[in-house]
Amino acid sequence: MHRFKYTQLTPEQIGAKLRTVVDTGPRSASSFSAALSGKTLKIVTQDGPTLEYRFAANRRLSVAVGGAKPVSAGYGELTLNQIVFFSHLLPGEQKGYNVFIDQKTNLATVFEVWLSSGIKQNAGRPGEFTLDDREVQRQIYFGYVDTGAQAPAKLHHYTNRMTGKGLHWKQDNGIETLELYVSVANTNFVELTRHVDDLSYVSPSDYVLVDDRTVIYNRTECEFSGIHTCFVADLYGVKQVGVRFGFNDKDELEYYLFKGDGQVVGQIAYLENFDDHGIKPMFAAAPAAPPTAPGATPAAAAAPQAPVKGARVTYRPVRTFPHMSDAEMHEAALKRTSAFGSGAAAQAPPQAQGLGTGNNLPFSDILVGKEFTLRFDHGPVRDYKVGDRTKLQYRNHGDAAWIDAEYRAYEGDDNLAWFSHILADSKPRASVQVAVDFTNGLATSIESHMGTEYYGNETTYRPVFGVVEMPGLEAPLYVRHELTDELVGHCFSWSYSDQTTSMHVYSSPHSMSWVIFTGAQQMGAEWCSPCIYVKLRPGVYIFCQNEEACNGNQMIELLNTKASHDCGFTFNGSARGVSLGVTGAIGRHIGKFDIVDFYGPKKRSA
Amino acid sequence: MSILNKTRRSFLFKMGAGASAALAATTGMARSEAAASAGNPALKAALLEEEKALRQLHQAYEQAMDKGLHDEVVAMFAPDAEVVFNGGLFKHSQGVSRLYRERFRCGKTGIRMPAAPGFELTAEQQRDSVEVSADRRSAKASFPYSIQVGVPFQTESSLAAMARLHGEGVRTWWEGGIYQVTYRKNAAGRWQISRLAYDTLSRADYRTGKSYAQPIVVERFAVRFPEDQQGPDALLQA
Repeated sequence: MHRFKYTQLTPEQIGAKLRTVVDTGPRSASSFSAALSGKTLKIVTQDGPTLEYRFAANRRLSVAVGGAKPVSAGYGELTLNQIVFFSHLLPGEQKGYNVFIDQKTNLATVFEVWLSSGIKQNAGRPGEFTLDDREVQRQIYFGYVDTGAQAPAKLHHYTNRMTGKGLHWKQDNGIETLELYVSVANTNFVELTRHVDDLSYVSPSDYVLVDDRTVIYNRTECEFSGIHTCFVADLYGVKQVGVRFGFNDKDELEYYLFKGDGQVVGQIAYLENFDDHGIKPMFAAAPAAPPTAPGATPAAAAAPQAPVKGARVTYRPVRTFPHMSDAEMHEAALKRTSAFGSGAAAQAPPQAQGLGTGNNLPFSDILVGKEFTLRFDHGPVRDYKVGDRTKLQYRNHGDAAWIDAEYRAYEGDDNLAWFSHILADSKPRASVQVAVDFTNGLATSIESHMGTEYYGNETTYRPVFGVVEMPGLEAPLYVRHELTDELVGHCFSWSYSDQTTSMHVYSSPHSMSWVIFTGAQQMGAEWCSPCIYVKLRPGVYIFCQNEEACNGNQMIELLNTKASHDCGFTFNGSARGVSLGVTGAIGRHIGKFDIVDFYGPKKRSA
Repeated sequence: MSILNKTRRSFLFKMGAGASAALAATTGMARSEAAASAGNPALKAALLEEEKALRQLHQAYEQAMDKGLHDEVVAMFAPDAEVVFNGGLFKHSQGVSRLYRERFRCGKTGIRMPAAPGFELTAEQQRDSVEVSADRRSAKASFPYSIQVGVPFQTESSLAAMARLHGEGVRTWWEGGIYQVTYRKNAAGRWQISRLAYDTLSRADYRTGKSYAQPIVVERFAVRFPEDQQGPDALLQA
């Protein structure tokens, strides 16, 4: 969805489509329930409006919001165990309510949802922008049905009880999704039937605890279509009822209720203290101001304040990602192409090179003194001659002249070299990240270069597989490293330094997400990208991702799951030029989802 | 441990183990005040009231820092006040505001923390004192501190940008030391901080909950304002 071109729907276009469903209410593939038919309800919410409902027999209701004059609308209703759920819009507004009522306790959770919000991000600061009108906003109110009795002391509340769970859902309309709830504020999900690419995406989410088996959930596909999915789930029966509301990638209004059956596909650990139950939502924390470069105009630091209506933890990287053409990018590369920094910093061990490398593996002299040829199938053939730990010579096989290059190498596993260098004078600027197995005679190169069809300052990569030829080493004719799905479903935290840890969720054979921890080790902000995985040996892999439609950066790591360590390289470009760097981290295996069987080509109806 | 308890212990420590129960009744009485008020019970009472007010002011300062209420902190300083922090001198309202509203706010600096394991201040270092001048227009004080200090990650990586979404993206550590504070009354008779120096005694790579701590070195300020937009007005010699 990073590459989908979503229409900037106007408030008028949105309003016109909403008017077509206000009276009818949502559709449903399953039969609606009628638990509320003929009843009146007064829902009192904490910090929100009072909603006074009168339900007629024909899926019509009237509602008075906050004591205002009652209005009529169509609604849809489904039940799940003791929960009755209904959804409706308000006439003349781009707003509606999704309401969950626990008929045993009379507690209620109310989602106010609206479009064309006009909400500004970074208001008054550099990088201010207005949220897309098509992005559904939500505000959650906790409350109860006023029966005249004393108000309840405890209401529904936010929770981390869903954190780390993964579920496969199949709805009554045939839609299937994989949903990995690996953050208290986001979901990593895969559209198994709506999309053909098996890519996972991330959307901000809320999790509300009803009781020990019942959870209310929502996600809004911010920065994508803006569509909203909201349901209540029974984790005993693994069933859901909910609503889908908003505009899809074809600009069609989807407004329907659904039932679904689920399957738990795994549970990874969540790492906050055992007495932390996630009751305080993450969006309650004031965002920190970005750093101020010396000499730059400082951004005003945000003072602590109550979260605004609709606040959520949403990463919107493409909003601040400048577009560069291929020509602009190459011009910048000609001014500066940097391999591993320069000067004394370039010679320093990785542990001394900063936030992203403090826990890296040490550089290795595994290549020093070696001469060899890397012959890739249908691809480049390169000769190498390595004199010392940081400088090598290479040439295209058959060329007479050797080319000098700065490089760094690790020994990622026994007798397995992992190194990288810039390809001199390349246009677009290119680099290679190469694994050479001197035991098995195999080699894999990630051929990386600047530029995609979308941005000149994004990176592109492709793996090529082949052999290493050198005296005393037998190169296989048929055996090769290969792409793998062995890591799919696994989650590792990677601590690049004692200040920087990110959890990777290897969520599909072609994509992943990463999650940032809070100071209390809650899994928080999350985003996603395509990636590839290459198997080098049992337990040893190359993982390569490009943070597309984000910052265009490429990370190319060798993962040694036996040692729970990775090491590798970063490659990126900007107006400041092109940079090849190093990175590496200490890993912890956080858990695994059993999801690999959901992927692969499927038989689809025409 | 409360301020009062610290005061009691530090006073008794100063007076020696043989201090009598009668002397203990004058806990909190500072040297200057004792000298000035000898034979003048009214002055003695007035000085004790001033000392109490200054301790409350400092308590308010620490509480505001702990909660990140930097606007309230800045309002406690005199217009010509100075703050010494990590080899930098922040002068007057603009400099003090820059330090607290910008640097400290971005770095989540000032949140109270228990001392890092193995880095606890000695009893001597934990001693606080307040000395009010005889004319009750100025005062000097020292108070121990044990706080979090931090600086935002200086990187444009997605990890840092995402961490900022939930108020993180800051490299933090623990610092312990002594506040050396000078107070002055303004024209309205209200106590204000005229000079505050962070006399840092130790720093450690430590967060609450971590099982161990290691000493760290933090580079002193090397660039002044405006080259460093959050930097000091002057650099001090080590």
